[in-house]
Amino acid sequence: MRQILWQRELRADPWRYPGEDGEGPLVQTLAELLADAGAVVADGAAAGSAAGVRLGPTDDVALLAPLVARLALVVIEFETSGDGRGYSQAQLLRQRLGYQGELRAAGAIRRDHLFLLARCGFDAFDFAPGEDARAALAHLESYRVAYQPASGRLVQPRMRP
Amino acid sequence: MYQYDEIDRSFVNERVAEFRDQTRRFLAGELTEDEFRPLRLRNGLYIQTHAPMLRVAIPYGLLSTRQLRMLAHIARRYDRGYGHFSTRQNIQYNWPKLAEVPDILAELATVEMHAIQTSGNCIRNVTSDHLAGVAADELEDPRPWCELIRQWSTLHPEFNYLPRKFKIAVTGAPNDRAASAVHDIGLHLVRGADGAVGFEVLVGGGLGRMPIIGKRIRAWLPQQELLAYLEAILRVYNRYGRRDNIHRARIKVLVKSLGTEEFTRQVEAEYAANRAVAPNVGAAEIARLRASFAPPRYKELDDTDPSVSAAPDFVAWYRHNTRAHKVAGYRVVFVSLKKHGEAPGDMTDAQMDALAELADRHSFGEVRVTHDQNLVLADVPQHALRTLHAELAPLGLATPNIGTLTDMICCPGLDFCSLANAGSIDIAKQIHEQFDDFDYLYDLGEIQVKMSGCMNACGHHHVGHIGILGVDKHGEEWYQITLGGSATGEVALGEVIGPSVPKAQVAATLARIVGVYLERRDGEAENFLQVVRRLGIAPFKERVYATDTVAA
Repeated sequence: MRQILWQRELRADPWRYPGEDGEGPLVQTLAELLADAGAVVADGAAAGSAAGVRLGPTDDVALLAPLVARLALVVIEFETSGDGRGYSQAQLLRQRLGYQGELRAAGAIRRDHLFLLARCGFDAFDFAPGEDARAALAHLESYRVAYQPASGRLVQPRMRP
Repeated sequence: MYQYDEIDRSFVNERVAEFRDQTRRFLAGELTEDEFRPLRLRNGLYIQTHAPMLRVAIPYGLLSTRQLRMLAHIARRYDRGYGHFSTRQNIQYNWPKLAEVPDILAELATVEMHAIQTSGNCIRNVTSDHLAGVAADELEDPRPWCELIRQWSTLHPEFNYLPRKFKIAVTGAPNDRAASAVHDIGLHLVRGADGAVGFEVLVGGGLGRMPIIGKRIRAWLPQQELLAYLEAILRVYNRYGRRDNIHRARIKVLVKSLGTEEFTRQVEAEYAANRAVAPNVGAAEIARLRASFAPPRYKELDDTDPSVSAAPDFVAWYRHNTRAHKVAGYRVVFVSLKKHGEAPGDMTDAQMDALAELADRHSFGEVRVTHDQNLVLADVPQHALRTLHAELAPLGLATPNIGTLTDMICCPGLDFCSLANAGSIDIAKQIHEQFDDFDYLYDLGEIQVKMSGCMNACGHHHVGHIGILGVDKHGEEWYQITLGGSATGEVALGEVIGPSVPKAQVAATLARIVGVYLERRDGEAENFLQVVRRLGIAPFKERVYATDTVAA
């Protein structure tokens, strides 16, 4: 069972990623979600939960604007740790689209990225294989101060007024 | 100058602690080299030919003497007794030990310095005019804005993993002394139609394999909108800049492929859409930063000419290494790091300590670093100049060659850099030997020679009046010569004169080039660059390749 660091707690992932078998609601790709846009409400009602979507680095988050209220999970995939597009996707989701649900960073995620990811609005982390999620948790506290406004609520560094 | 407050101090100490932990994990085998690389790069640490290289930021080129003494201490304690000042107002140490780098950073933090984001695909050290605050042509001091950008860009959560490195330069005077047109963003303080001072914004300048002059995307931006607008540019770049090819990843490629008009439209649209949440620079913060750069307590001094009836060596130094100051009775002094026979931009720990002492005595305890690898004492009373010259000369810091051909920009080259194709320091020494007659140098007037050991163009060769680029030809070091580049005024990229020349012939080639200049100039008033622009490269090319002794 996949373990997710979610809101500072380690928990079993209730979701299935695209292509995975088993129990739990299925995370869709953006293309699937958009194709099924009309069915999301019905699915959500039936399953007692709303939709989940996984975004790749080139997916345009603006396409989620009409669906944001129905989404319970957005997974942003980091194919490599050096590809920073997901940070902008997260900020746009939180700040411009007003997305309130779980925002999960997945892929090449290690403890050294945690603080910046959290500042950009991620509140859940699906770590790279081999990373120790419990040890990583402390890295949310790497910095107590910051210079820029950002969208994250999981960490609240002190800023100059 | 800017003093850290409790936020800055807390931040820089937390950064040191973070990197200490990362270094420990790497040395313990818990992080692979691939995992550690982006982390160490964001703390200024490269792995180079001989050893790690640590690049320490000198934000907008300003140093207190306390900081300069710390740079000396680090050179002595952790390195081999010297440092190298780069073209982006950084200092580089070539021989630190990896395990000691966290200690170096901790020592730097005690004097409010760091190496954060001096490399890696992130926003680099913000650079500026080395004459900020003292130049008569200045509209407004750019340094408060530089400090604002330094803070905003430091560990910006969204822009720490950009497609490629990102460099910003800010100037407050019409005469651009910061090479801002060849930066990813160049910001110029200018007066708008209603008389208010704002920013002209250039984007997409750069050197390297694809040299381009920045394109103006905003004629005037209100000052308090600066960070909001920078966020818009960076967001467009972070989302749409190419990541599939390292050589096509700079913002200049995005600007070029979209076209300036479409790129501008996207930035303006993002800027408008982001208004509600973009960082807003409050009047109180601007006032706080401006107060940090208040002028020193100048005295009322008589404006005298200290070169009257002075010794010839003083007169030469006074003429070439000092400049007018906006306050009567003061003078700007350039400390030449281009002593003949030495690697350009290098300085020993003893020189740093001694210069700190002189700056305390004569220039309000501050030193500046120029983008052409010299230092500046910006506020020296004219009556102290003779004493200062007598003190600088035995330190090897009074070579009277500022602005002359031997005041050249030079990257570390093959001797230190793992990217280089060819040596730079040897060529500098060869040029020093060829042009060792100062009267001849003075007759040649202003000639900017800029030299890079590879296409990455750390030595800004494209914008040298004479540019020298090291190339590798079947394992041998050869040098391509360009003419007519300029980083200031009418910014221009140099034109290649022809096939590259062998290593032994570089200085002789320069001698032929300047020979043409002397023959063809319309009197001493017409400088080298003007002659190249008037004649084009043809007569120079003809002379250089006139015999088969030089041509490849």
